[in-house]
Amino acid sequence: MSLVEIQNVHKVYKRDSFEVPVLNGISLSVPQGDFLALMGPSGSGKTTLLNLIAGIDHPTSGKIIVDGKEISNFGETALASWRARHIGFIFQMYNLIPVLSAFENVELPLLLTKLSKRERREHVETALRIVGLADRMRHYPRQLSGGQEQRVAIARAIVTDPSILVADEPTGDLDAKNAADTLDLLQRLNEEFQKTIIMVTHDPKAAGSARHTLHLEKGVVIEGAYGETQAVAQA
Amino acid sequence: MKYFKLIWRNIFRNRLRAFMTLVLMAVIFFFVATLLSILQLFDRFEDQGQGANRLVVQSAISLANPLPFAHEQKLLAVPGVEDSCKMQWIGAYYKDKKNFFANFAIDQDHMRSVFEDYKINPKQFAAFKNDRQGCIVGTDLMDRFHWKVGDRITLKRQIFPYDPELTIRGVYSHSVNTASLYYHMDYHNESVPSGMKDHVNTFWLKIKDPSKMAAISQEIDAMFKNSEFPTETVTEKQFQATFMAMMGNIKLLFGGICTCAVFMVVLLAAITMSMSARERVTEIGVLKAIGFTQGKLMALMLTEFAALTLIGGALGVFGAKFLYSIIPMGRITQGFLVGFTIFPATMAIALAASAIVGLIAGGWPATTATRMSVVNALRRVV
Repeated sequence: MSLVEIQNVHKVYKRDSFEVPVLNGISLSVPQGDFLALMGPSGSGKTTLLNLIAGIDHPTSGKIIVDGKEISNFGETALASWRARHIGFIFQMYNLIPVLSAFENVELPLLLTKLSKRERREHVETALRIVGLADRMRHYPRQLSGGQEQRVAIARAIVTDPSILVADEPTGDLDAKNAADTLDLLQRLNEEFQKTIIMVTHDPKAAGSARHTLHLEKGVVIEGAYGETQAVAQA
Repeated sequence: MKYFKLIWRNIFRNRLRAFMTLVLMAVIFFFVATLLSILQLFDRFEDQGQGANRLVVQSAISLANPLPFAHEQKLLAVPGVEDSCKMQWIGAYYKDKKNFFANFAIDQDHMRSVFEDYKINPKQFAAFKNDRQGCIVGTDLMDRFHWKVGDRITLKRQIFPYDPELTIRGVYSHSVNTASLYYHMDYHNESVPSGMKDHVNTFWLKIKDPSKMAAISQEIDAMFKNSEFPTETVTEKQFQATFMAMMGNIKLLFGGICTCAVFMVVLLAAITMSMSARERVTEIGVLKAIGFTQGKLMALMLTEFAALTLIGGALGVFGAKFLYSIIPMGRITQGFLVGFTIFPATMAIALAASAIVGLIAGGWPATTATRMSVVNALRRVV
């Protein structure tokens, strides 16, 4: 059963009077529980595709259906609310709020819910335990290593129990050991907790952790993840 | 309240900048509160007779032109006039010209009847009445010169050709006027040369029905219109306003300075808040990505900016309140600012203004930062 359905999606950016096509009619299905790596050279459209799936950007044309809902039709407020419930973000630069502790950073998405303070604390502690940072919850980002910061960011991404985790170069700023740890953690989230993960990466090693890999170039899929013929044909 | 930590930490995320903003706000609002309170003090002087049932009869030519005592009987004959009290501005000073304060000769027999709002111990007032050279003094004036009841003082002449030699017989209190001195009209009248005798510059009338004050004042002025000493009868509020009108330019100046100061602080705060918003664009992008709406982020940022300026404003306003509670402004200003404090209404206005500064100054930076799309915000390198 596919969780994400992308149908003939085009994305064109306007730069002054120029139009820059980034995605050229991409079609794709991502099954629930998959761990998909999006690869390709810079400018291939992989991050744009990830942004569209995550609901932080709108396609110029085409449909994006996630969990049965066509999110490409949502307005900004509805999209924000949808993202809060369905998407967990993991960024290359971790993007933690420096003035908040690890606990408070992880708690942020829960502030948008109606959970009580006690319930929020339980959720945050669980998420930090999963990423192995239960003993660092009072630490501030500046007091953590890069790998630990990324694990806090992963805890923030999973704390609301979203259906999809989107990760944009999650190991891009980490050393080899921390990168391996992060990938292990993502694999664990995928295998143990059945999280659907879509990850953009340049690193073939990182892509090797995923169940499937999709190669993009110049806005089209050049090597499909679930059967090359289908993916290339749809692209 | 669940966003309190986020707001509070963001306020002080750059401590130096927050400190400088707080100092700026505190200094500006210290002065704003001070100037507004001075204006309010002026207004209180102006309003000290508001609601009172008193009319003031003065010469239609000018306040410096005296009216004859003989007018008083005619004034008392006007229907609705319950009592009259003669009062003469003396304009003397104590020891040195810098020790200037308000001093008057007053009709000691009618003072209590007409000026019921002046509180004084009955025994002290009786002692005052019984001593031709006795005087009563306001509480703040007593403090200013460290006088005590029974002290003998000599005032130095400025207008009239004698130095009033007085004994303090009592201390009065009043809601506004707490720094004046009153002595016997009889003593004054017998001390001045014959050409000045039996003349006074104001009659203060107690009116039975305040709603008829306008009609009574017209009737009085009509009665003396063609006499040698025409009158102008005004309410006490109008009378005080005449004095305060002389300070019109000062009020305008103070009001102008307040406006400029607030305008300047809005601009400076806007620069600070623009920097604060600009350096957090990526964070705002992250918050939007995880589900915070633009409206919620706007509300959070504006609350943060308003809280910052409000804290700074509060430091300035409460600092001023504290400072003026220990500094005797009446003495320092030679009686000009007797009873000066930061009034509650001024505090409320200044605090509200300081919060509004944050909202105005932070409005545009917050809008710009939160309006940015998530993708652009995340892409932004600050």
